[in-house]
Amino acid sequence: MKIEGVVDHLFRHHQGKMISTLTRIYGLSNLGMIEDAIQDTFITAMIHWKNGIPENPEGWLTAASKNRAIDLLRKVKADDNRILKLDNGPSVISLNDMFLPDQIEDSQLRMIFTACHPKLNPKDQIAFALKTIAGFSEKEIGAALLLKYETVKKRLARARKTIQSQEIKFDIPDKKEIGRRIQEVHQVLYLIFNEGFQSTKKDQVVNKDLCGEAMRLCTLLLKKEHLRSGEGYALFGLFCFHAARLDAKVQGEMIIDLKNQDRSKWEKDLIAIGHNAMYQSTKYDVMSRYHIEAAIAAEHTNAKSFEETNWMNILEYHLMLHNSDPTNYSAMNISIVLIQLDRLDEAKIYLDIIDPDKLENRAYLYFGIKAEYHTKLKDLSNAILCYDLALKNVTNQSERNYIEEKRASIEKMK
Amino acid sequence: MKDFMLIFIGEDYSELGLSPEGMQERMSNWWVWQSKMDKQGICKGGNALHPTGMRLSGSDKVATDMASAELKELVGGYYIVTAENMEGACKIAEDYPDYDIGGTCEVREVMVFDR
Repeated sequence: MKIEGVVDHLFRHHQGKMISTLTRIYGLSNLGMIEDAIQDTFITAMIHWKNGIPENPEGWLTAASKNRAIDLLRKVKADDNRILKLDNGPSVISLNDMFLPDQIEDSQLRMIFTACHPKLNPKDQIAFALKTIAGFSEKEIGAALLLKYETVKKRLARARKTIQSQEIKFDIPDKKEIGRRIQEVHQVLYLIFNEGFQSTKKDQVVNKDLCGEAMRLCTLLLKKEHLRSGEGYALFGLFCFHAARLDAKVQGEMIIDLKNQDRSKWEKDLIAIGHNAMYQSTKYDVMSRYHIEAAIAAEHTNAKSFEETNWMNILEYHLMLHNSDPTNYSAMNISIVLIQLDRLDEAKIYLDIIDPDKLENRAYLYFGIKAEYHTKLKDLSNAILCYDLALKNVTNQSERNYIEEKRASIEKMK
Repeated sequence: MKDFMLIFIGEDYSELGLSPEGMQERMSNWWVWQSKMDKQGICKGGNALHPTGMRLSGSDKVATDMASAELKELVGGYYIVTAENMEGACKIAEDYPDYDIGGTCEVREVMVFDR
């Protein structure tokens, strides 16, 4: 609900900012205490604000958090050198400065690099990032990643344990390491975005939140000169092209495929920002998989209609991806394009490479593509056989509806 | 027109384990209600109360710390609104935003004494 004067997600984002800031002051070992302290500030805000919104809500929250930090400083034993240094050291940034926008951003970046530390389990990285940087609750993370509440708690606990046992520092990596470490960050942001974009959850709000967070964190990196890179810009471009289609992708409880999406609903502003990011990315002498994926997404957004899609270009990009890192998925993507181009013999070659058992819960996609292949060959009984296999493997209801509809249309043609 | 006091009774927000996003949503609900009443000019005032306090009772005036006593029925705040009658006041009270989390709204007419 939009309230004048209060930014969307203010509390959530404030939580992310303050966890990072207070962690910089008290250290990663005090995360639990920090989260409780921020919770207290929100409760106070809720009581105080019921009668009216303060003029500068964000400033109000920051001031309250700072006061709470000072309270804690008094309570926590002064044997922690880090805290002492902050309190007295002349060369170290003072507590007050920690709450200035620039330093808050710096703290958030430290938290991003902590969450994306290669020593953390990849699954834990995402949950921990959503909790500490994006300010999601355990329940919200569960809803976003389709995980049980208990699983989320376990992952967060494991992440914290790893941070302690591996003595991971709350730092931005130095020049030697930054190149490698920022790749880890990009990878985590990419996964968070995909969780939102590829997801078939009915709850569009949750999906959008995930995509929005990945984009916000990506911008945080791009704002800092020393953290900018060609990959970073390409990743952001890719996000923009995909995000532009989010609204058109879902209608009620149905997923709309690319072919049938109302292209006038695609957000042109986001597409323009995406193109700008891609232009920035060309200033660096790198070509990453994000560049190629963004190029594919851009081809789709450029096409006025599904029929006008430049499949030849898209095929070329998919082949590039496949040649640099051949996977079942890259082969699947190539076969989809080849089927579009009616190059069915070649499509079959790629379909034969794929091992559906290895696709696990995505095996239904493979059978769906195979059904399309048989349909194009006018081999309708095999097409129906494949749709049946797809239906056997699909778990998501809206995907099931989609496949059933396709199957019914073939049944009619018979 | 008569004055009515809407008394809000419910559990402490801090016990609900709300997420930051959830809290903001709760707050927004209150503001929406408040601004709706402002537009209609029916709210004469009100306050939110801290969840802590003391309760005095008995001829010995024994004071109990309300935080230590397990009190589920805690008054969290009140509004004073004007309405034609009890029915109208109840209509206003229907907008109280915390019913879904077990909140209760008591509607009481303010007594007017003849001088």
